[in-house]
Amino acid sequence: MVDALYNWFDNRLNISTGGRKIVNKIFPDHWSFMIGEIALYSFVVLLATGVFLSLYFVPSTATVVYNGPYTPLHGQVVSEAYASTINLSFSVRTGLLMRQMHHWAANIFLGAIVVHMCRIFFTGGFRRPREMNWIIGVNLLILSIFNGFLGYSLPDDLVSGTGIRIALSILESLPLVGSYLAVFLFGGKFPGTSLIPRFFLLHVLILPAVIALLIGMHLGLLVRQKHTQFRGGGATEHNVVGAPMWPTFMAKTQGFLFLVAGVTAILGAAVQINPIWLYGPYVPYHVTYAVQPDWYMGWLDGALRVMPSWETVWGPAVGGHMIPNAFWPAIVLPGITFTVLMMWPFIEARLTGDRVDHQLLDRPRDRPKRTALGVSVLSFYFVLFGASATDVLANYLDVSLNIVLVAFRVLVIAVPLVMYPLALKICKEIQDTPGAVKPKRHNIVVRSAEGGFEAVPSAGRPGDEKVELEPVSLDYAPVLEPAMAAAGGDGHGSVQVSAGTTAAAQAAMAAAASIAARGAAGKGGAGSGDGASGDGAGGDGDGAGGDGRKRGIFRIPRNYR
Amino acid sequence: MTQPGSSHGSGDGPPPIETVGYDAPQFQVAAAHPRRMEKAVAIAFLAALAGAAGFGAAFWVNADNFWLGATLGVTFVGLGAGFVAWGKYLMPRGPFSESRHSLVPSEEHKEQFVDEFASRGKVAIERRGFLLKIAGAGTAVFGIVAMFPLIRSLGPLPKKFFFSSYWYRGAYLVTPYGTRLQVSSMKPGGMATVFPPTDIGGPFSQTMLVRQGTADITTAPGRETWSPQGYMAFSKVCTHAGCPVGLYQQVTRQLLCPCHQSLFDVGPGRAAVPVFGPAPRPLPQLPLYVDSRGYLRAQKGYDEPVGPGFWERGNSNG
Amino acid sequence: MAIRLLRLVLLPLAVLVAAAALGTFVIGRDHVSAGSTAMENPGMRLTASDSSTPAQQLALGRTLFEESCSSCHGDNANGKGGVGPNLQGVGAAAVDLWLSTGWMPLKTPTLQPANKPPSFPPSEIRAIAEWVASLKPGGYPIPQSVNLAGTKEPTGFDLFSLNCAPCHTITGAGDALANGYHAPPLRGLTKTQVLEAIRTGPQNMPVFSPGIMPKSQALDVVDYVTKEIEHPTDIGGLGLGQVGPVAEGFVGLFVGVGACLLAAYWVGDRTVEDEDDTVKRHDEEEGPEPGDGDTAETIAPGGA
Repeated sequence: MVDALYNWFDNRLNISTGGRKIVNKIFPDHWSFMIGEIALYSFVVLLATGVFLSLYFVPSTATVVYNGPYTPLHGQVVSEAYASTINLSFSVRTGLLMRQMHHWAANIFLGAIVVHMCRIFFTGGFRRPREMNWIIGVNLLILSIFNGFLGYSLPDDLVSGTGIRIALSILESLPLVGSYLAVFLFGGKFPGTSLIPRFFLLHVLILPAVIALLIGMHLGLLVRQKHTQFRGGGATEHNVVGAPMWPTFMAKTQGFLFLVAGVTAILGAAVQINPIWLYGPYVPYHVTYAVQPDWYMGWLDGALRVMPSWETVWGPAVGGHMIPNAFWPAIVLPGITFTVLMMWPFIEARLTGDRVDHQLLDRPRDRPKRTALGVSVLSFYFVLFGASATDVLANYLDVSLNIVLVAFRVLVIAVPLVMYPLALKICKEIQDTPGAVKPKRHNIVVRSAEGGFEAVPSAGRPGDEKVELEPVSLDYAPVLEPAMAAAGGDGHGSVQVSAGTTAAAQAAMAAAASIAARGAAGKGGAGSGDGASGDGAGGDGDGAGGDGRKRGIFRIPRNYR
Repeated sequence: MTQPGSSHGSGDGPPPIETVGYDAPQFQVAAAHPRRMEKAVAIAFLAALAGAAGFGAAFWVNADNFWLGATLGVTFVGLGAGFVAWGKYLMPRGPFSESRHSLVPSEEHKEQFVDEFASRGKVAIERRGFLLKIAGAGTAVFGIVAMFPLIRSLGPLPKKFFFSSYWYRGAYLVTPYGTRLQVSSMKPGGMATVFPPTDIGGPFSQTMLVRQGTADITTAPGRETWSPQGYMAFSKVCTHAGCPVGLYQQVTRQLLCPCHQSLFDVGPGRAAVPVFGPAPRPLPQLPLYVDSRGYLRAQKGYDEPVGPGFWERGNSNG
Repeated sequence: MAIRLLRLVLLPLAVLVAAAALGTFVIGRDHVSAGSTAMENPGMRLTASDSSTPAQQLALGRTLFEESCSSCHGDNANGKGGVGPNLQGVGAAAVDLWLSTGWMPLKTPTLQPANKPPSFPPSEIRAIAEWVASLKPGGYPIPQSVNLAGTKEPTGFDLFSLNCAPCHTITGAGDALANGYHAPPLRGLTKTQVLEAIRTGPQNMPVFSPGIMPKSQALDVVDYVTKEIEHPTDIGGLGLGQVGPVAEGFVGLFVGVGACLLAAYWVGDRTVEDEDDTVKRHDEEEGPEPGDGDTAETIAPGGA
């Protein structure tokens, strides 16, 4: 039955010919390569829960009198957006769960993107030929931050409404076009009736489509250029070592999708997030304290707080001009941040003069300056992120608010300056110490006959040593034409090749054709010069024979890398 | 043929090619005790099944959010752990490898491609370059005007939007519930949010009214009549980023904006001057007077735009 | 295998969960140094001491004041420079509020007193309050009984959002004011205390007199505070102290992303140690030569 189904598709799409390439595709297995998958799968959760939410959410600022189950709001005039979100939370089965899962998944999505970006940065995965993927990734970060902001602003509650007001002031602070854009966005009268519907369209349709498109490009480039890998275990610049797509990677990645979804579900079950019924609807002359944005915008909020009160103004009251205070922390800072981020592969290439392809990743300690710079810059944004919670910290630590803010103003300069030499030193120390981050062996204390004590490493326990196996190559041989099967039994004679075979396989086939037995041929043999070290086509260990379609599995000898 | 790029090679000729049979350790499962691992995976999937059934039941009886989410979580974690354990421990342990090939094409291919592109293109474009230029110009103009509906149609022009004040001469100070405030309404130390009667609830006309003592206050030179009998009125829209400055500390006589902690001093002789935090300008003050029947009213509107700055805003008056 | 699983996965997981739970509860706890066990002040409730005459009440009040309060507030409650403020004219409600919350008395002067168990039983508090009120008219009397019949909690919510949320946060969690002061969390308060606070404006809190907040509105606010603020509707799970996005971000990052990273650590492999584990000084071997990936037609097999 499965056979019949497979044949139906195969005869229309020709899966079998290229399909081997797909199922044999190798994925390096390191755990840090899965951080991007955390982001990907939380995006899947976002899409699934988002569809559910969009069935019930009403993106309208038309007012309605609330009379649902939440009694403290009875008789209050609220927007339909707010009322429908309350409805989702109290009246729709699994509505609250979907809301909370959606919001937690958004937080995890952005957290994973940032951690993923850091991993790529610290291991040099953005170097040639992967600059485009880095740029796409930074754009994904920007769009996701923005989409998250739009998403939590949709319910039109007091906390997110205050955030919208701040965002409009930031938009207004743009020179030349600010006041126009601000009025255009809210359609004339603040808050107006257009804001929530426009946010909804952006959040549900336009931005997810762009994000999905960029994710597709991101993954497509990854497939085309193949994933990078760490040294060790047979990995070189010319191969990819890891697990094949089928069945291992499919199983693991499928399982990981469920695990990420599971984490989101458990958080959605156990920890409350964005309880908008406690916040009440947005009223332009109401405000609350402890009003921070979601964490991924915290660095912007912190920047707004620690910025000194500078403002540039010139000219008379009417006819003069001003660069408002909010322009610097909210427009210039993110502008510089994302521009430098996007340009980083090119900046580093220029600084190091390194313009060759890299398929192997650095260990962060091997590039102390880059690592230290990354740590330093990351700490800058981390301090800004902490600065968005000045009031909560002051309250919690029982310290004066003024002192906390001044402390953050100092820290935002001091911490990055301290972190750079610190990280640099740590990297260099790890480099210089053999076995620095490896698990330590136990020591046995031995007493000598003279009375002195000596510590000697104990032998490893059986089973401690991880057995290092050679990677087995799955490069496939081209399918031999049936006519050649008989003649090609022992690999002699010329062979026809189907179009599209690689030079590797061709050369290897030719090599196999000229190799009667094991052993080296000339320079032209055994995969020379084509990046497929040690590979060859031919039969299996029993010798070529049979129907010629048998595919041998080959191991790369350790000393030929 | 070029040498392999690797510098690791031993140098003299490629070594023997080895083949690996399907009984090699790379094809064995990774688990030391596959049967036990199978049981573990089976338990995980059974837990997922139970979780899914539980979710269905919880939904049916309209259970709390916690149970809905917990059952769903058990389902997902069960499925996830099962598949991962299966893939990690019950499948060929590997490692496997495949070759990488450079994505830089050879010179020959590059030349071929450019030739084909150019040769056919030559026929179409040569001596017709001016057509391309005209097409380009048309497309560029279209690109620009295509932005017009997308951007300009979004809303009206700001015109004097940011300069207008909804306050006017003689406006009563009205609470959001519609009460007109009189000079006896508020005790010293009190605070209220007020609006003009024509714009109750207005986001730009919102005003903070505070009372300090019962004597007239001069907040700044030239403002001797603005604060009668201890009442002072300031715009509630923060000059930093527009949040309502709703927090009044009556002992320290400060207005604190909760968003970014801009602190405005409204003590004696101080007209909401920013003393801490990022706010760059004082809050505009609304001049008040007490009419013959004791009502608090505005002498005139704000004499400068309220709220955060924008490009067209010059120096404030006074 | 099982031991490895235990060591590599369960132990770190357990540590993480424990840390996260600890962090959640630590953040989630109210920032109140001591829970207020304020007792309901019943106003004119009959007590043993109530059988005394008003004059005896005043005498009791004065005695108590001299014992416990006059060292900072002066013998006639008219203040002592730099230590305790003048209490003449503050009214009985203010005294009742400060004593029943335990803010007063203090051993040493401090910027803003914190909640603690009251030092006097309600009858004595009332006596002190009446004596102070008798010195000079002014202020607000102790509310007789706070009757919440007919109050509208939604109106209270709206008024709370307008007047109280900017300092106390919309969930009543409390927050830091400027210059070292705090707006305390609104938990563990009686109806009387809430009403007294609204009317007397303790310390930095503004005074909401009947002219700007009529009695019905004030009672609405009391209703909302003692119901919804005291017992928030946390149907979504752990409330994290109702602090909002700060706590949620902490949980999302450390618990959410952390758990996913732990899962990734289980699913994926560790770095395999390279036997050639010396310091790499960027002698990168080059990648595959250009032309490796070309299709076959124009290149002779096995040729140069």
